[in-house]
Amino acid sequence: MEERRYRSASGAPLALRCRQHSASCRELAVRCPRLQLRSLSAVTSAVWLAAYGLFVLCQNSMVLSAAIFLTLIGLIIYLHFVKIDQESLLVIGSLGIQVTSSYASGKESTTFIEMSQVKDVVINEAIHMQKVIYYLCILLQDPQDPQGVSEVVPLFQSSQPRLDCLIEVYKSCHEILDQRKAASQSDGVK
Amino acid sequence: MRSLPRPLSVTAHARRRPGRLAISRREGAVSMVENSPAPLPERAIYGFALFLGSWFGFMLYLIWAYVPETWLFSLGLTYWPQKYWAVALPAYLLVAVGIGYVLLFGINMMSTAPLNSTHTITDNYAKKQQQKKFQEEAIPALRDIPISEVNRMFFLPEKGICNSR
Repeated sequence: MEERRYRSASGAPLALRCRQHSASCRELAVRCPRLQLRSLSAVTSAVWLAAYGLFVLCQNSMVLSAAIFLTLIGLIIYLHFVKIDQESLLVIGSLGIQVTSSYASGKESTTFIEMSQVKDVVINEAIHMQKVIYYLCILLQDPQDPQGVSEVVPLFQSSQPRLDCLIEVYKSCHEILDQRKAASQSDGVK
Repeated sequence: MRSLPRPLSVTAHARRRPGRLAISRREGAVSMVENSPAPLPERAIYGFALFLGSWFGFMLYLIWAYVPETWLFSLGLTYWPQKYWAVALPAYLLVAVGIGYVLLFGINMMSTAPLNSTHTITDNYAKKQQQKKFQEEAIPALRDIPISEVNRMFFLPEKGICNSR
């Protein structure tokens, strides 16, 4: 198990952890930086100052209590639905790929993709909001049509690691995915 | 003999156009000279007519906007639009130009394929392409390489072929 430091597309520090559970099972986790105290206090003081300005204008003290309430509710919603703590990829050679996102409030959302549906894991580049970014994605295939790509599942959407981190993840995934190709070829020869 | 277009002269009426000269001289290049953006007498005449028309329109707009209604009625011209529009139309135009910038930007962003669509990987032409046979000592036909092969070439360099990093 080893942990290496990389950067995200916006410059935030990330940590990539690679664990090998067995010869055909590997887990890769990208951990995002935690919520910074300075950004939290900046947003809170901005909202409260704006509310105090409104209070001075309209002399209604409900504005102040509404601002406090809004800040608390907004923080809870942000931690539970928006702020992602860690995104991980679990590749099991004969079974499938599991993608997990764990949020800052502790919530985890998981997606599992069967190995028969997985065509390949590739690094694709696409235009995203006036930038061209590299991102890792799983290409899914229709079982009836093994040549075409039916769907594209992008990975690591919130952490958005840069190309060097993506290449590490790509190589790790392909060590396991190529084993199943070698296995299927030897089966075909038999 | 001349292949350059002549400068404009309004009195010329018996002059042959450079396009026809070029056609009679060379049989091959027929459509080349007629599509050129070089100045021609017809284009100059259209431009001058547009210039006069736009000046006339502008003077009419100024008269309509500034001259009081009573003077215009006393001349007998009673059927004009409301003078409100003399200010409203330019204001609408300016706001439309400003919104046009934002709209064009927004339309571009909306028509960009999202990250999870297959249009970032392939399209109809690449799916239906045919594999041509490989011939010795001939330039291979142009074709779209699947993204899996491209990724292998770039990021898995164990086969020893040159990698870009």
